[in-house]
Amino acid sequence: MKKLKDKIEDLFDNVIINDFYQNRIFVKTNKESVVSLLNYLKELGYDHLALVSCVDHVEENEFELVYILSAYIHNEHENQEKTNIIIKTRISREKAKFTSIINLFENAEPYEREIFELFGVDFVGHPRLKPLFLEINYETPPFRKDFDTRKFVDDFFANIPIIEEIEDEK
Amino acid sequence: MRKLEMYFGPQHLGMVGNFSITLQVEGDRILEAEANPGYLHRGFEKLMEQRTWMQNFPLVCRINVVEPDHIELIYAMGVEKLAGIEVPERGKYIRSIYCELARVASHLFGLWAYANMLGFDTVANWAMYHRDLLLDLFEELTGARVYHIYIRPGGVRRDFPAGFEDKIVKTLHKIGSKVPDYNSTFFENKLFEKRAKGIGKISLQEAINMGAVGHAIKALGMKYDIRKIEPYAAYDQVDWNVPTRKDGDAFSRLLAIRDDMIESVHMIFKLIDKMPKKGDVYTKTPNPFKWRIPDGEAYVRCESSRGELGLYIVSDGGLNPYRVHFRTPSYSHGLTILEKALVGENIADVGNIMISFYVVAPEIDR
Amino acid sequence: MDRNQIGKWLRSPQKMSNKYSLHAVYFCTGCGIIEIPPSITTRWDAERFGIIPAPNPRQANLFLITGYVSLKTLKAIIRTYEQMLEPKYTVGFGSCPINGGMYWDSYNTIKKLDKYIPIDGWIAGCMPRPEAIFVAVTHLWTLIEKDMATGYIKYRKNYKQYRANQEKIYGSLDWPPLYK
Repeated sequence: MKKLKDKIEDLFDNVIINDFYQNRIFVKTNKESVVSLLNYLKELGYDHLALVSCVDHVEENEFELVYILSAYIHNEHENQEKTNIIIKTRISREKAKFTSIINLFENAEPYEREIFELFGVDFVGHPRLKPLFLEINYETPPFRKDFDTRKFVDDFFANIPIIEEIEDEK
Repeated sequence: MRKLEMYFGPQHLGMVGNFSITLQVEGDRILEAEANPGYLHRGFEKLMEQRTWMQNFPLVCRINVVEPDHIELIYAMGVEKLAGIEVPERGKYIRSIYCELARVASHLFGLWAYANMLGFDTVANWAMYHRDLLLDLFEELTGARVYHIYIRPGGVRRDFPAGFEDKIVKTLHKIGSKVPDYNSTFFENKLFEKRAKGIGKISLQEAINMGAVGHAIKALGMKYDIRKIEPYAAYDQVDWNVPTRKDGDAFSRLLAIRDDMIESVHMIFKLIDKMPKKGDVYTKTPNPFKWRIPDGEAYVRCESSRGELGLYIVSDGGLNPYRVHFRTPSYSHGLTILEKALVGENIADVGNIMISFYVVAPEIDR
Repeated sequence: MDRNQIGKWLRSPQKMSNKYSLHAVYFCTGCGIIEIPPSITTRWDAERFGIIPAPNPRQANLFLITGYVSLKTLKAIIRTYEQMLEPKYTVGFGSCPINGGMYWDSYNTIKKLDKYIPIDGWIAGCMPRPEAIFVAVTHLWTLIEKDMATGYIKYRKNYKQYRANQEKIYGSLDWPPLYK
């Protein structure tokens, strides 16, 4: 039987695969082939989207989007490798934009909303890109590396005065 | 009939946890539901980037109040994976026993919330009392009732005190002897069946599309359990089953939880029997103030009481993590599945369905 | 009812009944809520002290603010507090409402809760044990008896300052001021 790693390498160009750990395959690819790669893996039986994450590489001025897939237990895919596939791609940090994958995996919806809110990545095709967690607007999305929480706390919360009680006039 | 918008929570008797759902209702029927999380957002993953690897332990356990132990475990597992640390044999067993105790305690808390919601106050009181007995065990072992911070990279903080195994067995026997009572007053009660059967039903295909894990998928007949698929700690050393149910409604989810609890208790007995009697419980790690972990990335997962818990962790070779992201089971349960499962149900069943999925709000918000 | 307190009951029945029937708001504001179910069920039994969760803030007179307060929750807390009828008592539960606790550098949790609503007493610790809740409640009894639990009066008197602080966080609030 062909290994999953070889299958991916045969079908897709521009992939760098690293299977350093047991049961984990890290696939680095360009942003055009992410959706087709996810589609292909879903058909292979890797139909559980565990996580969509984002890493801010501020020095390279890039965001790294991370999709983690694993497999549910199906009888028809008995021989598949029980592995986690971690698909990574880089997008530019300026006006960050990517395709939404809700059509493929329904549970990507809140993850994409979260990344939109905390990193400021715009997902094209997402039906309700509105704030998920935050109540007030931050100038920089707070999970970006250039957002300094300690400075923000000093500027924002420390400036609110303590209540001074009005003396009773007797 | 007139359509109305109804805010369910955060301040609402039917809401457990600081969470809110906006419902569009017509009469008593729910037409549309929109989850509205974020009341507990503290930005953990950002705060963790500013603290050293060891300093993060007090932080991570606060991600989930009901069951902090599995979050500690997953973070320790992530650090071990990056730094290449092995856990000694006895440490592995202690971790397993400790996590199973935490699972039982957490399920009892869930049972409290569920029984309370349906008005079974007697059962709710029992469940909370029995959970408290387990908290006493934790207190003896770790010094704290709720946040234990017991697991550390390379093992656990300290060995079991003398005679602790016997105490675990005794406490579990005490709780286990009440299982027939639980059954006759709650699980086999016609009232419970009437309130829970057919409520909040999802199909297997929907569950797979929306990323259901834990008892939500076990209630549909799939034996998806990370302890079996990718054994960690000492779960591959003993023989145990993954209990499943068929129907995928609130009733079968609750029964899956009960069976899971019973299976955990049996597993603890087996683990105690098989545990090596002597040996180290942790591997030494470098000075935490100067501990640099080589750069790399890892994804680790374990099975918490609500399902698959994952951690994506990136190191850049520094004193602090570069990025951490927790994949928590309540995230897709509470935000994707709940919104679908509530449509067409009755307003009175919102809390019922929500707790049957065991949605824990702080875990969603982080 | 304690027989020795009959004199007190006759002198100030209102104060005594406020003291011994503290109805707590059912609002899980933070992780401190995990110690509330044990304390209201059989083992610790808060009803011994007259505490019982009330279904509605309008029927409650005790507000336990259990744990850290995020910016989104603070809005809900202010609204809930303003809905409660006087006399009302607030207790900050856990370290986080006191000074931010371990979230001192978090961008989304407020640091000192008493800048936004008045607090009558604090319970330190993370988590405070159920016994700590009961100690706090007996202290609150003393405060009520000595007319020192006057947070709601303070709120009315200094409402302008409180409202200004609240508005500093959110820009503007979408409900009218409670007091003129």
